[in-house]
Amino acid sequence: MAPLSAYLSISAFLFVTGLAIMIYRKNIIAILLGIELILNSAALNFVAYSKYVTGDLDGHIFSLFIIVVAAAEAAVGLAIVIRFFQLKETIHIDEAIELRN
Amino acid sequence: MENTIGGFFLKFDFIKNAIASGSSAIGFDLTMLFYIMMFLVGAVAITALLATVGGLGTYAERKISADIQARIGPNRVGPFGILQFLADGIKMMTKEDIMPSGADKFLFYLAPFLCIFGVFSTFAVIPFSEGLQLTNLDIGIFYLIAIASLVGVGIFLGGYASNSKWSLLGGMRGAAQIISYEIPVTISIMSIVLLSGTLSFTEVINMQSGFPHNWFIFHNPFTFIGFFVLFIAGLAETNRAPFDLPEAESELVSGYHTEYTGIRFGLFALAEYIEIFVVSGVSVSLFLGGYNLPGHFLHGTLGAQPLQFAIFMGKTFFLYYVVIWIRWTFPRLRADHLMTICWKYLTPIAIFNLIGCAFWMVLFNGKSFYDLLMH
Amino acid sequence: MYYWILFLTSALLTIGSSVLMLWTKNLIHSCIFLLGSLIGIAGLYLSLGADFVAVTQIMVYVGGIVILMLFAMMLTGGKDFVSKRQKILDLIPLMGNKKSLIWASLVAFVFLLSQALLLMKIFSSVKVLDEVSAYSPSVEKIGELLITSHELAFELSSVLLLGALVGAAIIARPKKGRGN
Repeated sequence: MAPLSAYLSISAFLFVTGLAIMIYRKNIIAILLGIELILNSAALNFVAYSKYVTGDLDGHIFSLFIIVVAAAEAAVGLAIVIRFFQLKETIHIDEAIELRN
Repeated sequence: MENTIGGFFLKFDFIKNAIASGSSAIGFDLTMLFYIMMFLVGAVAITALLATVGGLGTYAERKISADIQARIGPNRVGPFGILQFLADGIKMMTKEDIMPSGADKFLFYLAPFLCIFGVFSTFAVIPFSEGLQLTNLDIGIFYLIAIASLVGVGIFLGGYASNSKWSLLGGMRGAAQIISYEIPVTISIMSIVLLSGTLSFTEVINMQSGFPHNWFIFHNPFTFIGFFVLFIAGLAETNRAPFDLPEAESELVSGYHTEYTGIRFGLFALAEYIEIFVVSGVSVSLFLGGYNLPGHFLHGTLGAQPLQFAIFMGKTFFLYYVVIWIRWTFPRLRADHLMTICWKYLTPIAIFNLIGCAFWMVLFNGKSFYDLLMH
Repeated sequence: MYYWILFLTSALLTIGSSVLMLWTKNLIHSCIFLLGSLIGIAGLYLSLGADFVAVTQIMVYVGGIVILMLFAMMLTGGKDFVSKRQKILDLIPLMGNKKSLIWASLVAFVFLLSQALLLMKIFSSVKVLDEVSAYSPSVEKIGELLITSHELAFELSSVLLLGALVGAAIIARPKKGRGN
C-alpha cells in the first residue's frame, strides 16, 4: 500500500492546481472547473484519512456529501452563468463588477 | 477475488487440484496467474462474442425489417446473407478517413473511443451465466449505470468536434436525451434494488428462479409497470427508434456522426448495437429471471453453465428482436415530444413505482403477488 | 502489485490531466481534461477500497456535471473575448494571458510551500493505523451509517438538492416577454 503522504500530496497538488486555474482563467466556466478540482481534492483527503487513520467509513460518507454539494453548486453556478450571459453577452469575469442587475 | 470468473472455476475440485499440483511442480503460487488468465480469456471471449453480436445485430436488423416490409433482406453474402456484417465491416475499414477542416483533432479522435469505452466497460458485470460473469461486483448494477453515462459525453463530443451545425445540433439533442432518460432507468432499477436489497447482479438473479411466477416482473403490479418504463427509457438511452432524433436520416443528415467516415463511424454504430444488447441484458437480469434454469436445476455445477448461458442469450435476443420490431413499426418522435415523454410521463411513473414498491414491501412483507394468491 | 498499477495509473492520469487543464487555451479541452482528472480520482478511490464512493463519483460527475458544463459552454459561446472595461494595455483574453499565469503560478507555489511547512507538524503527529483493514464491500455499511448516524446530513442534502434544482431552473429561465 502506498503511504498516506502519497495520497495527501496528490490531493495538495490538485488543490493548488485548482487554485491556479481559478486565478489564471478569466472565463467564468473555467473558474467553475477549478472549483470542482478543489472540491475533489478535499474529498480524496477525507477518504484517504478514513482508510489510514480511522478504520471506519465516516470519511466515505463525508466524501459522498461533498460530491452532492459540488453537484448542487455546479448546477446553480452554471444557471447564474447562463443568466449573466443573457444580460451581458459575455462571460468574462471582469465584466462582473456591478452588484445590481 | 472469490467472486470473479476465476473464483467460480476454482470452486471445482479438479481445477483446484490441477492448480495445486502445478504450483508444487513449478515453485510459485499459480492461483494469481490463474485468476489473470481467466480474466484475459473471459474478457477476450466476451468482447469477441459481443462484437459479433453487434455485427449480427446489423444483419438481423436488415433481415427483420425486410420481413416486416415484405421483402427479402441481404441474401448474397454467405448462406442467407449471414456474412453481410463482415462485408460491411471490411467496407468500413477500407474507407478513407476524412476529418473536416475546422474540426477539433483531439476531440474528433476521442469521441468514438469514449462511446466504445463506455459500452465495453459494462461487459465486466453482465451476468451471462452463474460462472461466466467477469466479476460479480457488490455494486455491479450501480457500476453499469455509471459507466453507461460515458456514452453521452462521447456523443456530445462527436457532435461538437465535427465543426458542423447539423452535427452540433444532433450532438446536443443526443446528450440531452441520454441524460434525461437516465433518470427513469435509474429509478426503475432502484425499485428492483429495493425488492432484493442488494446491488449485485448475481444476488438479484438468485432471488428469482426459473419459473415465470418468480420473476420480478410479476412480483407486484408496480414492477410490472417498472419493466416497461425501464425498457422504453433504455430504448431512448441508446438513441434507438422511435427516439432516434439525433441520428435521424431524414432530418439531421445523420446527426452527430455525419462527419465520421470509415472505422470511426463503424465504432459509433457498433457501440449503439452493443448497447441495445446491454440494455436488453440488464432488463432480462433484473426483471425476467436472468439465467435461471427452472427449479434451480443443476445449480452451481459446471455442466449447467452452457444451459444458463443459452437461456440468458435466448431471453436477451428475444428482447433484441422486440427492439428491432419497434424501430420499424413506430414513427419517429419529435424533439419536444421526446422530452415530454421523459419528464412528464416516464419519470413520474417511475417515482410512483418506487413508492409503490416500498409500500408493497412494508404491507405484505416482501411477498410476491403469486405468494399472496397461493397462501 | 495490481494495487500499484491501479494507484500509479490513476495518480498519473489525475495529475497529468490537471496540469493539462492549466496549460490548454481551449475551454472544451479544459473540460475534457477535467473529465480525465475525475476518472483518475475515481481510480484513486478504488485503490483506497472505497468502491461505492468511486462509482458515485463517476455517476454524478461524469454523467452529470461534465455534461452540464459542456452544455453551458455551448449555450454561452466560449469564444475568445477581451473585457471592455480594462484599458487598452490591460486587455486580458478569456482564458488568461501571461501576466495572470505568472500570478497564478506564484500564488500556487507560495500556497503549496506554506501549507506543506505548516501542516508538516500535524501530519507527523497523526497516528497511522498499523494494519490497514483489508478490502470489504462498503455499500451496506454506508447505507446503515446514512440512515442511523448521519441521518440529519442525509435529509439536509436532499433539501439542498431540491433547492438547487428549483433555483437553477428559475435563475436560468428567460424572463416573460423575452424572445422566442
